[in-house]
Amino acid sequence: MSLVLKAEKIGKWYGNVLGLSDVTIEIGPGITGLLGPNGAGKSTLLKLLTGQLRPSIGRLTVDGRPVWNNTALFRRIGFCPEQDAFYDEVTGDEFLTGLLRLHGYAEAEARRRAGRALEIVELAGGGDRLIRGYSRGMRQRIKIAQAIAHEPEVLILDEPLSGLDPLSKRKIIRLIKDYRSEGRTVVVSSHVLPEIEALTRSIVLIHQGKILAQGDIPYIRELIDAHPHVVAVRSADPRRLGSLLVADRAVQSVSYGPEENLVTFETRQRDRFFDLLPRVVAESGLDLEEITSPDDNLQAVFDYLVGK
Amino acid sequence: MAEGSIFRVFVFALRLVRRAKKMRVFAVLSLLPVLLAVILRLNAVASPGRGLDGLAVFGNIIVAFGLQFLVLILALFYGTSVVSEEIEGKTLTYLTIRPLPKKAVILGKYAASALVLLVLVLGSTLASFFILNLGRLDYGPAWSFLGKSLAALALGVLGYTAFFTFIGTFLKKSVLFGFFFSFGWENIVQYFPGSTQKLTLMHYLKSILPGVGETSPSVLQFLMFRLDPSPAPLAVAVLLGLTAVFLALACRVFSRKEYLFEE
Repeated sequence: MSLVLKAEKIGKWYGNVLGLSDVTIEIGPGITGLLGPNGAGKSTLLKLLTGQLRPSIGRLTVDGRPVWNNTALFRRIGFCPEQDAFYDEVTGDEFLTGLLRLHGYAEAEARRRAGRALEIVELAGGGDRLIRGYSRGMRQRIKIAQAIAHEPEVLILDEPLSGLDPLSKRKIIRLIKDYRSEGRTVVVSSHVLPEIEALTRSIVLIHQGKILAQGDIPYIRELIDAHPHVVAVRSADPRRLGSLLVADRAVQSVSYGPEENLVTFETRQRDRFFDLLPRVVAESGLDLEEITSPDDNLQAVFDYLVGK
Repeated sequence: MAEGSIFRVFVFALRLVRRAKKMRVFAVLSLLPVLLAVILRLNAVASPGRGLDGLAVFGNIIVAFGLQFLVLILALFYGTSVVSEEIEGKTLTYLTIRPLPKKAVILGKYAASALVLLVLVLGSTLASFFILNLGRLDYGPAWSFLGKSLAALALGVLGYTAFFTFIGTFLKKSVLFGFFFSFGWENIVQYFPGSTQKLTLMHYLKSILPGVGETSPSVLQFLMFRLDPSPAPLAVAVLLGLTAVFLALACRVFSRKEYLFEE
């Protein structure tokens, strides 16, 4: 039932610009998170996997068959593109039915499947409205609906959670997990680690067109934890806060300034530090004005992993 | 198999073409000859002494407005949009991830555009003919003139739309290029003497229209301006052949080219 996506030493150039370089990867059933900062090459890889682009070099197969111009394969693949683009002058129902008709389904079957897909993405009530009147969340969901309506064995989602409010995100995360539970292969890209963590434990880190690391969340977390995190805290008494925390092994260094109310901690045990901080603050009665972690983002992790 | 795919794309695209905002603008533009015909007819009724040579006016409308403007502008905007509109709107992905041969996307969308344009152009032409020639419908050459005019307009729609579909598959600024081609090359080179004018589609379209002695002089004078006509059967064959070639080229380019969206 499930298909295996396989890339062997693939590279992709846009003229002189490198999109992907020497990527070898095999993706099987379950959810695989493709994680990387903007411009890392995630979308390029997904477009290659869905036959939108052709590799400059290397071999890319789904179920052992090349993807480019292999139209029969598209019955088995569903793709939710990143761009917020639609045929705005049709209703959600017409959009889905029309695309299902392109798969060769008869009108009645296309309507049935469209209705079911709208139900799955909780848009059943909005199917008769023009897409141009949809909210961002509804647009994202109709995009997912067109990807799942033909019940593909492989579902590829490019930044499906981008720009959504927390409630919509939760709905889509649940939807993707449900899809996975039916034994299918799902690939999801994101540049936000917590989004991927909410979906899967199996992730691929991609940066500057290369696969940096591949494994489950704890392994990636280890990599991340090996990188010293900087946490800046604004408090009415930063020196007292510093002295209370410095004794713990989670804290590697403490520095003050440049502003009077600012203390900056460096830690290699991010989780432990964030457990400790609120406890110490509550016990000491100190006032906190702001906690920021300037490098608590993927870019910093990636910079660390590539040795910048 | 391929025919089924083309038909499915055709049905899908037909809905999009009919719903597009530009459709309303071009429908109004297409109705201008009808409006002109109504004005002239009312004027003739109001001033009985001044006769209306409906066939002559119709001939001028066909050449000056229908062939040399309406067909070109409609084919330009609908032909180039077959691919470029999908790229600009970033909707192409929805079509290219379906189990369809890529040529079905081109041919299905082309057929939908061409059908809509044929309805607009031929409908408007028929309406203006009947309005302008009321009371003269028993004049035999008028029907021959109408038939040849409709054939020229239809072949113009098919040929130019195919050409602009092809251009749209590989040129980013296909509309701009199309303007230069339509109102530069086609509208100028057709008046060049000798065989140079045969390098335009317009030459073959005009060659289908009635020849000397078939209709009234005022029509002929306008139509035959520097035209060194090719035989009508040859003109039809060339136009159909070029339409097929442009479509084949469009399918070939579209099947091989990777399309990137502007960020």
